[in-house]
Amino acid sequence: MILARHAESLLWAGRYLERAENTSRCLSYAANSITHLRPGEATAEGEMLVRTLGLQDELEAVGPLESQPQLIAFLLSDTDNPGSVVSAVTAVRENLRTVRDRIPIELWEEANGLYLRFPFLGHADAAPSGLHEVLLMVRRACLAISGILNEGMRRDEGHAFAVLGRMLERSIFTVGLLEASHADSRGVMDATRMLRLTSSLQAYHRQHGNAPDFDSVVRYLLHAKDLPRSVLSCLDRAEERLTGLASTAAALDRPRRKAALLRARLELGEVEEAMSAAPVPTLQDFLAQFMELASDVHTGIVPPLAMATVRSQYIRPGDGGDGGDGGGGAR
Amino acid sequence: MVDVIPEPGSGLLDQYQPGGAFDEAFDADGSVRGTYSRIVERFRELDISEVRRLENLVADEFRRQGITFTVYSEEEGTERIWPMDLFPRIIAAAEWDELSRGLSQRVAAMNCFLADLYNGGGQAIADGVVPRWLVVSSRGFERNAVGIRVPHSAHCNIAGIDVVRAADGRYRVLEDNLRSPSGISYVVENRAAMAKACSWLFYDHPVEPTEQYGRMLRSTLDSMAPDGNDSPHIVVLTPGIYNSAYFEHAFLARSMGVELVEGRDLVVDDHTVYSRTIEGLVKVDVIYRRIDDDFLDPVAFRPDSTLGVPGLLSALRAGTVTVCNALGNGVVDDKGVYPYVPDLIRYYLGAEPIIDNVPTYMMWDPDQRSEALARLDELVAKPVGESGGYGVLIGPHATERELDDARATIEADPRNWIVQELVQLSTLPALAEDQLEPRHLDLRPFVLTGERTEVFPGGLTRVAMRRGSLIVNSSQGGGSKDTWVLAPETP
Repeated sequence: MILARHAESLLWAGRYLERAENTSRCLSYAANSITHLRPGEATAEGEMLVRTLGLQDELEAVGPLESQPQLIAFLLSDTDNPGSVVSAVTAVRENLRTVRDRIPIELWEEANGLYLRFPFLGHADAAPSGLHEVLLMVRRACLAISGILNEGMRRDEGHAFAVLGRMLERSIFTVGLLEASHADSRGVMDATRMLRLTSSLQAYHRQHGNAPDFDSVVRYLLHAKDLPRSVLSCLDRAEERLTGLASTAAALDRPRRKAALLRARLELGEVEEAMSAAPVPTLQDFLAQFMELASDVHTGIVPPLAMATVRSQYIRPGDGGDGGDGGGGAR
Repeated sequence: MVDVIPEPGSGLLDQYQPGGAFDEAFDADGSVRGTYSRIVERFRELDISEVRRLENLVADEFRRQGITFTVYSEEEGTERIWPMDLFPRIIAAAEWDELSRGLSQRVAAMNCFLADLYNGGGQAIADGVVPRWLVVSSRGFERNAVGIRVPHSAHCNIAGIDVVRAADGRYRVLEDNLRSPSGISYVVENRAAMAKACSWLFYDHPVEPTEQYGRMLRSTLDSMAPDGNDSPHIVVLTPGIYNSAYFEHAFLARSMGVELVEGRDLVVDDHTVYSRTIEGLVKVDVIYRRIDDDFLDPVAFRPDSTLGVPGLLSALRAGTVTVCNALGNGVVDDKGVYPYVPDLIRYYLGAEPIIDNVPTYMMWDPDQRSEALARLDELVAKPVGESGGYGVLIGPHATERELDDARATIEADPRNWIVQELVQLSTLPALAEDQLEPRHLDLRPFVLTGERTEVFPGGLTRVAMRRGSLIVNSSQGGGSKDTWVLAPETP
């Protein structure tokens, strides 16, 4: 049994943890790739990363991307950008703080420690001097948090929600990456970059050789059951958690069925078939369905407002119930 | 891992001079008291750099865990790391035995008074032990609590009694806290941090453990189920993550293995409290609330409060839930009622108080008022409804103008003031600059009452970190010490 608010906090802690890791990986990639990009490509790649992370609206509020330092500030330290690393790390900490009574102490300490290690928190314009070290620190801390989550936390509903949050966020990231790659008319997002941005390059090489082609990578990121970041793998784990949770929380049965349907569409090749005709609209629709799934999970957790209605009538002082009218109702 | 005992250093205690107050570690002639002989020896082996290193280890531990407190009067950066001085307070077994008996006695009498007041027709008032006008004019008196039945008549399940040691070495009660006394989490975390940073200090000291608090509290709250249910659904009710004591609320829930809820997590339906879980509404039996009475139920109390649970009072009256501590305990926290507690002990228990009060003048008594105001420059004036050291005037430290202002304020509103003899709080060595120097301290032990009463060994030792200061509150620059109660020696 878990409080609805705690379930929500753990779901979001899982989502933001994944987001912190994804954004850090994208930033690392952007910082490293500057060494071999041709003039003009850096901006195109930056826009592609922003699209992958689904942050176009947030970027629009800041203005057009003009330089790589601007991209780094936007993705790393901009506290107005909910997808920045700082925002995600802060949100992980805040969400875990609200449930610190039910999570392992080490989990809270690691999340709090990561937050406290940001010297520029609260200063959106501060440029970090050692980007590589900061990103490495974030990714290592995220891995440590994941490790404690997986190895140190009881397999209760709270754990299930944290994992569910991670899987939803990860699916959204991977589908977003595929969508951005297909929409990329300038050829920035090639097969190798897709694999690097999902930490899947090495795994792909071992399985398929070291000359990745675009279509094969897309299939790999969609279908590989043994790849933790593939969409199918994420859906499997999300569905498994939802099945367990829905056995007692009826409101989560709807998202459970939706996850099962998405998995079936993927396994039966329906998504790929549609992609062969219209890849971008298909992936956009697929992404929208994941967003809807995430929204359904949220709706399933948060009880309807009607539950807050107080039906009790006023009991006068001294009219304490003697149990005579069903729990001492008003007389 | 084997601890390494540091080599002798350069005498942190070489220039230690106990002042006029009772020093817990040293006699007036400068010789070490028996209880402290081994710890003083250990500290004499340390040098300042080693102590600083250990302090940093402890501070890092607190920072990592987010063990902080909030200073509301500051505009920014209000979260501070909990300050702890490494030199522990040590209480010998026999001394603790007497102190804990005195605390149990005091809390028992106050529980009797609360039960009498809210459910027994007010016999003590009728018999003239406490004036009726004083009780009903107290801000802590809660008419809505009249008639709400409380299991075992235990209105105060968790009490924090502030005691001090005067110049004669005897303990005295300075203040009673029967609403939401805080500090127990710091007691447990102080010990954990000390044990991690300098476990070798504990050698040869049979110190009573502190980690059993969660178990003791759980057992107390289990016994408070309204219907005698032996495995009640217990929750800890917090105002939320921005409350200064949120760390403590989470600590309490975690150490008991129960949920930490906010008001919005609870709902009252048909005079029954439920928590909103993903499986639906689940009945709640016992609420350990860390929210003041006024904020508990916006229907009955402050309508602007979003912290509480609408309809909670109706559930209390229906007897479907127990709120711990009970509603209306603030009447005993009122410093105006404090002078009557020794009489309450005599009245209800037929015994003399084991721990005395600090001599107190009641400002609503004209004779006592004129006597006290004439020598206010030697005394301490306290508003009856404040806590945390706020509003306190220490006569010897006040200017003539401050004294005159205080006299006028008291004359205008005598019901809301008491004046006490200045107690030179006892001292212990604490680190100042590069030496250990005497610093004043108090002690807040915790008394748990449900079906039976237990006193948690030790308590929160608060220490004034400025030379000569008598203000130990953390909100006003005070620190803390680990408190060691020594186990009785086995024959």
